[in-house]
Amino acid sequence: MDPKMDSGIERSGYYSIEEAIEDGIAPVPLSLDRTLDIQRTLDVIDHLFSCEATWHKGHTLAQTVFTCIYLMKMERISSHAVLNSFCRILRATCNAVVAVVSTARTHEEEDLFTMSFGLPLKDEGDDKCLSVLNSVEETVSRQLRACKSHALSKRKTLEGLESLQDNPDVEEGYCRALLCRLRFRKHFHHVVTCLRRPHGRGLDLARKHVASCLSELSLMLKSQEFLKSQSNITLQQGDESCTTASGCRPFGFDVSLNSRLMSAAPPRAVKILTWSDALGYFEKLLRDLDVICSLSLDPVLENVLHFIAQFQKSVPDLVPRAFLQTLLVQDGKLYGRDLFCDVISRALSLPDIIGDKEFQMNEFVVQLGQLVINLLKILCTNTAWQRRKLGKSLQDWSTISIQLELALKREFGETRNVLDHENMCMRVSKQLLVWTQEQTYWVASRFLILGFELDLYSPSEYCMVYWYMHVVFIKLIEKMQLRILASNENGSARRKGKKKKDHSKDSARDAAFSSSCLLLQCYVLLSEGLSMLLAVLRNEGKSFLLPTIFNTEQERFLQHFDLLQKARIPEHITYYSFKESAAQAHMADVMKYNFFKEIQKIIPSLKGSFASEPEKLAELRQIEQVAEHNRIALNIINSVGVGDPSLRVSFEFTHHPHFAVAVVKRS
Amino acid sequence: MSAAVMPAAAPTERVESSSGEAEIAYVSYGGEQHLPLVMSLVDAELSEPYSIFTYRYFVYLWPQLTFLAFDAKEGKCVGTVVCKMGEHRGAFRGYIAMLVVLKAYRGRGIATELVTRSIRVMMESGCEEVTLEAEVTNKGALALYGRLGFIRAKRLYRYYLNGVDAFRLKLLFPRLDLGLPPMMMGDERDDQLIDSPYL
Repeated sequence: MDPKMDSGIERSGYYSIEEAIEDGIAPVPLSLDRTLDIQRTLDVIDHLFSCEATWHKGHTLAQTVFTCIYLMKMERISSHAVLNSFCRILRATCNAVVAVVSTARTHEEEDLFTMSFGLPLKDEGDDKCLSVLNSVEETVSRQLRACKSHALSKRKTLEGLESLQDNPDVEEGYCRALLCRLRFRKHFHHVVTCLRRPHGRGLDLARKHVASCLSELSLMLKSQEFLKSQSNITLQQGDESCTTASGCRPFGFDVSLNSRLMSAAPPRAVKILTWSDALGYFEKLLRDLDVICSLSLDPVLENVLHFIAQFQKSVPDLVPRAFLQTLLVQDGKLYGRDLFCDVISRALSLPDIIGDKEFQMNEFVVQLGQLVINLLKILCTNTAWQRRKLGKSLQDWSTISIQLELALKREFGETRNVLDHENMCMRVSKQLLVWTQEQTYWVASRFLILGFELDLYSPSEYCMVYWYMHVVFIKLIEKMQLRILASNENGSARRKGKKKKDHSKDSARDAAFSSSCLLLQCYVLLSEGLSMLLAVLRNEGKSFLLPTIFNTEQERFLQHFDLLQKARIPEHITYYSFKESAAQAHMADVMKYNFFKEIQKIIPSLKGSFASEPEKLAELRQIEQVAEHNRIALNIINSVGVGDPSLRVSFEFTHHPHFAVAVVKRS
Repeated sequence: MSAAVMPAAAPTERVESSSGEAEIAYVSYGGEQHLPLVMSLVDAELSEPYSIFTYRYFVYLWPQLTFLAFDAKEGKCVGTVVCKMGEHRGAFRGYIAMLVVLKAYRGRGIATELVTRSIRVMMESGCEEVTLEAEVTNKGALALYGRLGFIRAKRLYRYYLNGVDAFRLKLLFPRLDLGLPPMMMGDERDDQLIDSPYL
């Protein structure tokens, strides 16, 4: 059998845990020399830390954390207070994290994370893990205080039986090293517990523990110098592979022990992250969790969608994404608190409808509620999977739009002189339709945008992609404006006799809508400008041509936009619409319309509107840069002559992840 | 597809390189004697593990889709492509399973030639599309297939055992039954000249 296929061929470990233990792989205590014992304990702790980070990154527990014999046979270490308390809380935390990720439901390549065939992930004593850890922490903390006072009084011997080891000169160093690691574990366990509290009740407390975790992490890093200096140089691993702060290989691990358990996992041993990479991973994890803790439990759907999109920009890993998803959708409600039919009615700016039974029971509202739940869950997954699912969901959104439209026509037709109640029903239905269409175009725009983030488009395809994007953005603005118009109509009907403060609330909301529309307008201008520029470069400069060996541009258009076309998003848009538009692009027109200059006119007022929103301001600055660079590039191309053979134009994403900047060179 | 199809390539065809380097001979899979050549090339150069059953599956069922490239002078096998085709979700689809060229022979268009031959057979056999996966970091493969008209249809997260993402690449052949453009407007369907000698 090929060794690459069968892990049994590479015999590097033992056939059973008992055999490994008998061979002295995982001694308890780790050494009779108490100094060596604490050194080796710290190495085990550090290697487990690296294993945990490796597990999070997409491997199985069996091949990472549970390669530790001490963890697999916890009853053996009950006499070793430090190792026992550490392993117990680590196991409890892993169990809790597996539960969260399982609830969120992983997909495909991320399924390895929750696999724990027959591993001892849980034990009766684990709910006391915090108190067990606290008592050990207390002891070590007292010892550290004693060390410091010893140092002051210059005494040479250690009193009391609670010292970690026997060499007074290094006792303080070991106490510090151990304490920050125990405290990190404690605070991390609290983070996980608090984030799991329903209705987002634990977010503030979680945030405090995240901050504590981060400071303990930096203390762990500080301890590395001391631990390295104390360790045996001959035993140290190379820097590129060392999984412990001391650099020494840890006792008590065997990678092949669980190989018979892991039938569905890949056969090869996993490369464990280095200790410094693990530190880096946990730091990022904590920062991502910190962002989640800042969730304001905003009931406005648009803001929730925006929050998730913003959060995904930092490319969070599986664990923080799972936490976000389980916080957003619990028991079929937003934050476990708001019914999605109420979320929708709020989005329609119809506060009178909230709680209305007829609205809640409406079949379309029920279906739309489910679509929104699916959308929130999809948006929390990794971007590769997310884009595929968003694409597939377009058909569902489109279908429900069509059904809503048909129902509207059927129920209300062309009748005028309707009764008040019917009038209200018609208005609600119309608004529901417009809102549904708006969400559909939002999903479509995200689907297209993610293609850039995933590097799915080649430069010769940018022209058609930007063209489709500008079409979708235009429709999105149209639907958004219809929604604002409808909600204003509603507002004016309600506003008669209302107090002043409600007026200002309405006008604040209107201002927010109009700045959203203006931002979208910038997107339209950028997309259209780039699309036309690329079309001109092809028509008149003969660059960015598509290969035509086995197929043509039409096949590539059909493939890229297949899901959008099938869902008729938008209607009446075909390859020929694009082809005609692109064929008619000439340099003179591009200079005349000067899309990039138009953007520069809009930006100053938008900067004012977004003054209190740093993320939106940051994106505006990026858009400004893109517009400016492209405006200059356009001028250069125009003055040199687009057909000039010395002209070399490339497109780079140096300022904005979706909108490219034309880079002009002359050879 | 155009009716003027070139006759199928003779089993052995010599293609002389313009730069005067080694002459490369392209051979269609001829039988068991070629199997160890294919296997040793793929085993040596590709990261994914395959068992002998995998190879036999491809070359027994679709021998017409496997091609080998030989350095004519040294008689050494320097490249190979292994493919399959079949029904997949209602579409008749070709799949490129393995493509390898020895390091010393890269950059000379051998891989392009191997793949092109295979795709041509797929096209002639009635395939509607061709697909494969490639590592996102494999710039060479992505450029090669991009030049042939493949698009990056999907990104597959951590597809490979080493944790690297993959692109699913797809080539859609033109369909004769696609809605014709408004001919009355005088639009030329073929204004983009399909200038390949393979069609």
